Formats: sequence, structure tokens, C-alpha cells
Amino acid sequence: MNGYLGKLLRVDLNQSRLWDEALNEDYARNYVGGSGLAARYLYNILDANTDPLGPENPLFFLTGPLVGTSMTSAGRYSVCARSPLTGIWGEANSGGFFGPELRYAGYDGVLITGKAEQPVWLSIVEGQAALHTAGDLWGSDIYATQTRLREALGDPKVRVACIGLAGENMVKLAGIANDHGRFSARTGLGAVMGSKNLKAIAARGTGKVPLYAPEEFRAVTNQILALYKEDFPAQSLRAYGTAGYVNLSHMLGDLPIRYFQLGEYAPADNLSGVDLAEKYLTRNTACHKCVIACGRETRSPTYNDSKVDGPEYETVGALGSLLMIFDLEAVIHAGHLCNLYGMDIISMGVTIGLACELFERGLLTTADTGGLEIRYGDAETVFRLIELTARCEGFGAVLAEGNAALAERAGVPELSATVNRLEVPMHEPRAYLGMAVTYALSPRGACHMEGDMFSLDLGQSNLEEVSLEPGDRHDNTIEKGRTAARLQAWRNLYNSLTLCQFENPGVRPLLAAINAATGWGLEAEDLMTLGKRIVNIKRLMNFKLGLTKANDRLPDLLLKPLKEGGSAGYVPDIPTLLAGAYAEFGWDPESGRPLGDLHL
Amino acid sequence: MAVKFPSDEWIKELSAQLNASESYAQAAATWEGDNIFVILPDADYPDTTYLYINLQHGKASDARQLSSLDEQKALFNTSAPFNTWRKVLEGRLDPIQGMFSGKLKLVGSLAQVQRTPKATYEMVKVAAQIDTDFGS
Repeated sequence: MNGYLGKLLRVDLNQSRLWDEALNEDYARNYVGGSGLAARYLYNILDANTDPLGPENPLFFLTGPLVGTSMTSAGRYSVCARSPLTGIWGEANSGGFFGPELRYAGYDGVLITGKAEQPVWLSIVEGQAALHTAGDLWGSDIYATQTRLREALGDPKVRVACIGLAGENMVKLAGIANDHGRFSARTGLGAVMGSKNLKAIAARGTGKVPLYAPEEFRAVTNQILALYKEDFPAQSLRAYGTAGYVNLSHMLGDLPIRYFQLGEYAPADNLSGVDLAEKYLTRNTACHKCVIACGRETRSPTYNDSKVDGPEYETVGALGSLLMIFDLEAVIHAGHLCNLYGMDIISMGVTIGLACELFERGLLTTADTGGLEIRYGDAETVFRLIELTARCEGFGAVLAEGNAALAERAGVPELSATVNRLEVPMHEPRAYLGMAVTYALSPRGACHMEGDMFSLDLGQSNLEEVSLEPGDRHDNTIEKGRTAARLQAWRNLYNSLTLCQFENPGVRPLLAAINAATGWGLEAEDLMTLGKRIVNIKRLMNFKLGLTKANDRLPDLLLKPLKEGGSAGYVPDIPTLLAGAYAEFGWDPESGRPLGDLHL
Repeated sequence: MAVKFPSDEWIKELSAQLNASESYAQAAATWEGDNIFVILPDADYPDTTYLYINLQHGKASDARQLSSLDEQKALFNTSAPFNTWRKVLEGRLDPIQGMFSGKLKLVGSLAQVQRTPKATYEMVKVAAQIDTDFGS
């Protein structure tokens, strides 16, 4: 089975039982890997009765066929389950080295069910898996956990995916960390891991991924590498990280400010990735075989942080401009706290943002917050709230349920900044109207990784062959809806190959790499067919879990025009944009259900 | 009367219009860097042409056509074929889309460009207002 190890590790924590299972070749051929393949497997298992935090909710770690090969930026892995935050399909993915190491250890993925009686961790070394008592590892932050498991296995090359305190406490914003501070952050899958009493998975191996045509594969991956020497986005990401986009984003009105209610505010330019690089960057960090190295390791002297992972653009938005905090050191520190405790920075920031807004409007008082005044621009209070949330203490226990729950509790669901209960990331759908489609139709709720229209309309493209070309970002037409749908299919293919979305070599090189790895002999149009099939199965899954066409919407907050900035006056025309997307996906206009052969 | 692009006359006209623009002055208040626009040959233009302009704190100076890149060094070199420049100047290609897609090749201080993107946008906006003769 070229491109795959052909094997899953099954773990039943109820019975402490571990066994190998052959990877379903038909599933892999039709759903590729990562979140697509996980959706195919879990489609038969999940239903509306599955308790997201119950032992029956399967937690699936999966890689894709290019992971662990010489393909640049193919070092990601996906984690999937029913989300405790949203109640629908949950998926998250992360870079680093854990995904490749899992494959070197002999497995394409790990499917975990049940709940251990006591906290445990799982080791997978050279094809041998074992469960170990976590003991006092339970309670450790994500950095200490990774260090201790490398020591326990006596090998500095061990790669660890783990939860922090937030996951242990089943905070619905908890993520899963790997390779220092990289995260499968979204949809609360760290809480699912915590609900199973599983602290960590440690992987190490020296195996190789079998390839259909190794020489051809090496040639095409070398060709892809060469493309990045003069690539403007790659150069920009290397120099200034994802936060290098801050000033441009601010100018275009893409950067959310003051809980999505301001379109422009001069101090936001203080959060520039250029300033970050000049003042606080200690080094770049890279994922497996990545030549871009967009990762940031920074310091924050004011807060005595000497080694911090990040901040990324999303951090700078969610813990900075959204909360009216324009001090980079404070943002670095707040991001570091989220990392230590193992929490999704986007969800945390957007939930605190709502708390600021509610406090501002008098809908939340110190009587509700345990005496805390929650004001925009107050970094010290943000630090305190992050800690309280991770510990589920005081008002933190309220924030731990997420933004939508907080809005409902305050009686103002219209102030929630979520789609299907997942907090909106730091790209304004009023700045790139195609993002409205991405958010409304994303299988996991509001997510920018399910169709980055901001990248496409910024010009990051060589995808004409799959009918994806940059356009006018404020185009409010059926055709824009179709484009956003095609991009969603394309990125769902990426999330199934588990490729980094900053790697955009174009259709032909990517196709050549997939074919040389797998021997599938795909044509360019097959890539879009695969992507759409993956979107469709996730949609069918969500219909099974209770969503309907009525859930394809944006929050009211994002449908009010901004008064200032580069997107002033624009709002997405949701019916028109969605009509285009439905037509592109071939969904029934009445029910919104996918039609046609899904290879189920 | 329309000004021919690319030419010494055109870059001098750009300089004059930038100096008359209040919005450019504001957007480029922190901008420090001279630029050479390199117009490369394509089906509609047979030559390579170099246009130099010095841009400092929202004001332009020393605008002129160069005979070669040896004549003057600059912090930025921005190059593209003639018809790509034409698209930018006619508002058919967003300058940032041009850079991200590699249609406009920028060599120089990325920091400056990323920190003050508004300066680039305003400059292109002013340039687009010049009554330009593209020769066809």
C-alpha cells in the first residue's frame, strides 16, 4: 500500500487493550488521510447519542500519505472526534514532527476509545505500543510533559502529543500540544483526550514510508523545494512569521478589533510581525522538512518569559487587537499562558472578548465574575482569566464552556462570535466576502483553515487548473460563492493529505508528488473530486449529528457593516454566496444535503 | 495630454503628483526608500526600461529614467513585464495581489513593505490617476 504504512493502532482504554488493524485501503483511496479519512471511519460510529466527553467518543489521530516523506511541509497530523465545544464534527491539525514520527514508529494513525481507570500515557516505539500510568505527570504543563516523556523513554528524539491542565479539566477550549508549543487547537479535542484519562502519546521510530516511485518522488519534491526560493509569501513568512500580515490585514480591514466592532484603529499597527521580529524574536522554528520556517520563538522580558512559542497572527489578533491590547509583550505572555495550559488561543481570546463586551454593556458585573472587572485593554485581567479558565475556577468555569455558551448565559446570543459554536478566527468575512462561505459551511464551525479566501484573493495562487484564481475580495456574487466552495474542497484535500497550507507548489507538482507516492495515477480534476467528497462526508456527518441547512449562517455581529477601515460598508450577501457554493458542491437547494455517489 | 509610459516624463509626472497628494503624504509618512521600477519587454514592448524615484517620508524627489541598473542603486527594485505594469496602472491588478502572485517581483526591504502597505497602495492610486499613454 504505497504512501501508507497500512496499519492503525487501536486502543481500548476501558480494557487497556492495544492491537493493530489493517488500514482500509478503499477508504484511503477515496478519502486520502487526515480528517477526510477519519470522517469516513467515524461516519459509521458517531451519532447524535455519542457523548463527546463519554468513553464512546472515538479520538482519532491520523496522518496523510505524504507525511514523513521528503515532501516539504508534509509534517502535519489531524485529530478528530465529536467536539465537546460544538457538538458536531471536531477536527484539528498541527505541524511539527509528531505526525512523521508516528509513521516512522509504524502507524498511519491511532484510534482511541474508552476511558482509562487512572490517568495513563501511551508509548509507540518501533511498532510496539504500551500504556503507562501517568502518575504525577497528570497536572504537568505541556512543556514539562514532553520533556519527562523523552526522559522516560531515554531518547531525545521522542515526539509527544499531550494535553495540559485545560485538557485534564475537560475545558471545552482545550487543545492537544506537540513539539513544544504547536497545537491541534480547535474544537476542544484536548478535553476529549482528558475525558479518556489519556495524558499523552509518545512516538519514536526509524521506519520509512513506502513509495510507489521513490526516484520520481524525490525529483518532484526537489523541484517543489526550488519553487520557494523566490516565492514572496514564503519569504515574508520566513522573515516575519504569520504576524507579518498584521499591517496589511489592518489596512484591508481583515484584522478584528474590539470584538469585531471596529474596522480600523491606529495602535493595531503596533502588533506588527516586523516589530515582533526586530524586538522579540529569538529564532525561527520549522516543521518537518519545511524550508519556510514561519514558526516564532520569542521572549517577553517584561513578563520574564525567555522562550515562548509564537505568537502567530491568530494570537496577535485574538489576544491583542480583539481585546484592545496593543502591547506585543503582553500578547506574547498571554499566548504563552494558553500554551502552558494547553488551550486554543482563538477560542480563548474570542470568549474573553465577549466577556469584555458584556461587561462594557453592563450585562456582566463583578457579581458574576467573582469581583473581576473585565475591561478591554486590561492585559493583567486577561492573564488571570486564562489561568482561571484552564483551572475551571470561579468565572473561569463559565469561560471554559466557550463563547456561545457565555452569550446564551447572558441572554444575548446575538452577541456570540461563533459559527456552529466554534469561535470565529481572526479574518473578517467583511474584508474577504468569500470567507463568509468558508465560515458558514466549514464542517467544524468557523474556521479559516477550511478555505483561506484571504490567501487566494491576496494573490497566493497558481491553481488556475482547478479554477481557483484571485478575485475582488468584495465581490458578493454567486461566482464568488462557487470559488469559495472550490477552495474549501481544495483545502479539505490539503487537510486530508495533512499538508501545510503555506506550501502551495501548484496543481501539477502536487499531483506528481501524490502519484509518485501512491501510484494512484490521478488527473488534476480528480483532486477536486476528492476534496468535494471529503467536504460532503463531513457534511453528512454533521447532518447525522443534528445540523441542518439552517445552520449555514454567520453570527449577526459579523453582518453589520463596519464604519471605518478597508472594509467599511461591506457585508456578505449570504443567500447569494451560499447559492453559489451549494451549486458548486451539488447540494440539494432545499435540504442542503449532498447528492451523488460518496463512495460510502 | 497623455504621458507615455514608460518614460522619463512619466516618472517625473508621478513624482509631481505624489508631492501634490495629501493622502500619499499621510500614508507614506514613515516610508524611507528609493525604488527602481524595471519594465521588462513583452509582446507589446520591446525594451527594458528603468525608472528611478526617491521616496522619503511622503515626498518624492530625483525622479528620472535610468540607462541601466549600474547608474543608480536603490533600496527596492520592482520588476514586471510591460503589460503587467499596465494592468497595475489601469487598476486591473491589485499591487499586493501582484506581489503575492509573483507577477510583480520585489527585491528589497520586506520590512518596509510589510510595515507600511498603505504607502504602496496610495502610490499606485496616484499613479493610476496619471493620464497615461501605453502606446496602443
